[in-house]
Amino acid sequence: KKMTNDNLNKLLVFCVLFCAQKTSIVHGAQALETKVTLLLHAEPENPKCFAEGMSDLTCFWEEDEERAGFTDQYSFIYTYQNENSSECSITALPAAGGKRLYFCRLSQTQLFVPLDIRVFRDDLLIHNRSLFIELVFLLDPPANLTLTSTGTQGQLKASWLPPSLKYMGDSMMYEVSYTMAGSHIGKVEEVQASSELILRGLQSGTKYKVRIRVKLDGISYSGYWSTWTDPVLMETMPGDLDPLIVSLSLIISLVLTLLSLLVLMSHRRFLLKKIWPIIPTPESKFQGLFKVYGGDFQEWLGHSTGGLWLRPAYFYSEEFPAPLEVLSEVSLGPALPSSALPPKASETLGEEDEDEKLKRVDSALMERWRETPQEHWPMDQLRAIHQHPAPWTQSSLLESHDAYVTLNAQNHSGEEPLDDILEETLPLQVLFASGRTSSESRSDLGSFQQSSGLGRLSSQSSFEYPNHTWPPKGPGYTYMAVADSGVSMDYSPMSSSKIDDIGKGVIYTNEYKNEIPAHRRPIGTPIHFAF
Amino acid sequence: MFHNSSRGLFTLLLMLLEWTRPGLPSPLRPICDLRVLKHFIEEARDAQAAMLTCKEGCGLPEPVTVPQTKVDFSIWERKNALEQAQEVQSGLWLLNQAIGSLRASVTNTALQSHIDNSLINIFRIGKVLHSLNIQECNPPAGGVSGGEETWRVSSASELLQVHVNFLRGKLQLLLSNAPICH
Repeated sequence: KKMTNDNLNKLLVFCVLFCAQKTSIVHGAQALETKVTLLLHAEPENPKCFAEGMSDLTCFWEEDEERAGFTDQYSFIYTYQNENSSECSITALPAAGGKRLYFCRLSQTQLFVPLDIRVFRDDLLIHNRSLFIELVFLLDPPANLTLTSTGTQGQLKASWLPPSLKYMGDSMMYEVSYTMAGSHIGKVEEVQASSELILRGLQSGTKYKVRIRVKLDGISYSGYWSTWTDPVLMETMPGDLDPLIVSLSLIISLVLTLLSLLVLMSHRRFLLKKIWPIIPTPESKFQGLFKVYGGDFQEWLGHSTGGLWLRPAYFYSEEFPAPLEVLSEVSLGPALPSSALPPKASETLGEEDEDEKLKRVDSALMERWRETPQEHWPMDQLRAIHQHPAPWTQSSLLESHDAYVTLNAQNHSGEEPLDDILEETLPLQVLFASGRTSSESRSDLGSFQQSSGLGRLSSQSSFEYPNHTWPPKGPGYTYMAVADSGVSMDYSPMSSSKIDDIGKGVIYTNEYKNEIPAHRRPIGTPIHFAF
Repeated sequence: MFHNSSRGLFTLLLMLLEWTRPGLPSPLRPICDLRVLKHFIEEARDAQAAMLTCKEGCGLPEPVTVPQTKVDFSIWERKNALEQAQEVQSGLWLLNQAIGSLRASVTNTALQSHIDNSLINIFRIGKVLHSLNIQECNPPAGGVSGGEETWRVSSASELLQVHVNFLRGKLQLLLSNAPICH
């Protein structure tokens, strides 16, 4: 029984050892297979040789299965500089694709000295090569590749165990390849004589696949790139708002807010008007109507200095207003004494009471008209005047108490809409001295001053020219003579220029409706309109 | 009064001399960075490459003794630091002699500059070794030839190759394992 137990124990130990060795052998074989495959691609010369450590060298060559011979047909002869030749024993292994591999392995080598290799098959040289062993290193890939977080956004730290080769640690060069999991595009970083590397510029919250390989730097030692390690996966830290971006966006939003506030403040009146429009009041047009007279229009009319509105109809004719010269009746009578002169009225008539003035004017004119006999139709008189255009200054027409009003309209293009005129125009003052009663004259008298709009109308009153110096207007003046007989009114266009010019130009004739009731007007009073 | 001023001046002079007195040389900082050696190796390689292109006026007049460059690690590791240092120093000395004699015979100007560079580098290597407390050895008594660690070369290209291999091998091993650097 004891013997059986011992035997069993031995068997067990043997099995364990065998299994372990088998594993390592298998592992070793796999590693060798990988290296062989690598070198078959990387090294063009034959035999392909590589060193794994400080004192070994493995050489091999490939042959097709059909042409392969027995191993004893081959001889591997190697010679160090200044030394005698030696022979290496050959082993054969089958390879994929119907090939055969012949191996030679040296366990004691000399570095930094040229090595001559010759391979013979049946005394026939098939391969010849000279190499330095320290220049054909093919190392195992680094072990224990681990990825850790550095604590910073977009970074990972890769660390590994360098191949344990004496004297070569400083000569090792590593290549770290990292790609995003699932992607094929990767980046590569090189590092010398180190056992860790920090990968920067990575995306946050992403899984990365990292692998590494090693090679000697080529100064003292050199070789081939090792195989890649198995990839290691690691996720980077989750994304966080970049403080720089956050601060910049805050600043920009602040600046924009300030700008918009500035714009709003600068246009606050306009905006208020749009959002909260002021209810328009007519107070500005009626001076003192609400404040003084409490809305009593009649009272206000009686006391106001603003006068009457001219009815808008006067303005909204089809054509632009043309110059209008209003002359009083043609009279051959002597000039009245200057004492009968009506008081000089300014354009604005702001100094005297309107009513009294008018009364004076009316009385003076009434007197005047009564005195002069109506010998001729004023039309004939006018014609006579036109045929012999005498300077106005000398004409008996220019009685100082007569009222002449000239309206000069400069024809502007009608840019502004008619609405503006209604709202914006101020009263234009025109005196119509036609001997009407004060009440009517009030209704008829219009005072308007046109500031803008259709054109500038300037009014001149003959009261301003007391010395009979009514300035004659420009050459092309067209007149319309109106003769009012009390029953009907006769209009005939005339021209102030020479008779030859009458034909020129277009004379517009608009029907003028005298608003004054016929019975109110003194009979036989001609009213002349010229334009 | 004159006496007093002259005494003062004399004192001042003495003080100045004391300060400017050449003292003992301060110990060199150890040069442990192997990039220095890398630089030397690269320049030696350039010289070797230049020699390969040379056709005329680039030969050795007579064979020269050069050190062995081969390194068997099992044997190397058995040697102690002193032995290793001695091996390297004697090898450098031999190279210095050999390249010096080459310099005399080379007429190619481009090659001459390379050879000059190599000689300067050998001198600098000596300084590096000195900084690492690796003492210079005296040339072996009894002349140049002899020793297992030497052999003779007859061509300039062989000489320069030996130079490169020596720097890459034994010198590099010695420098990378200098105790003062670890």
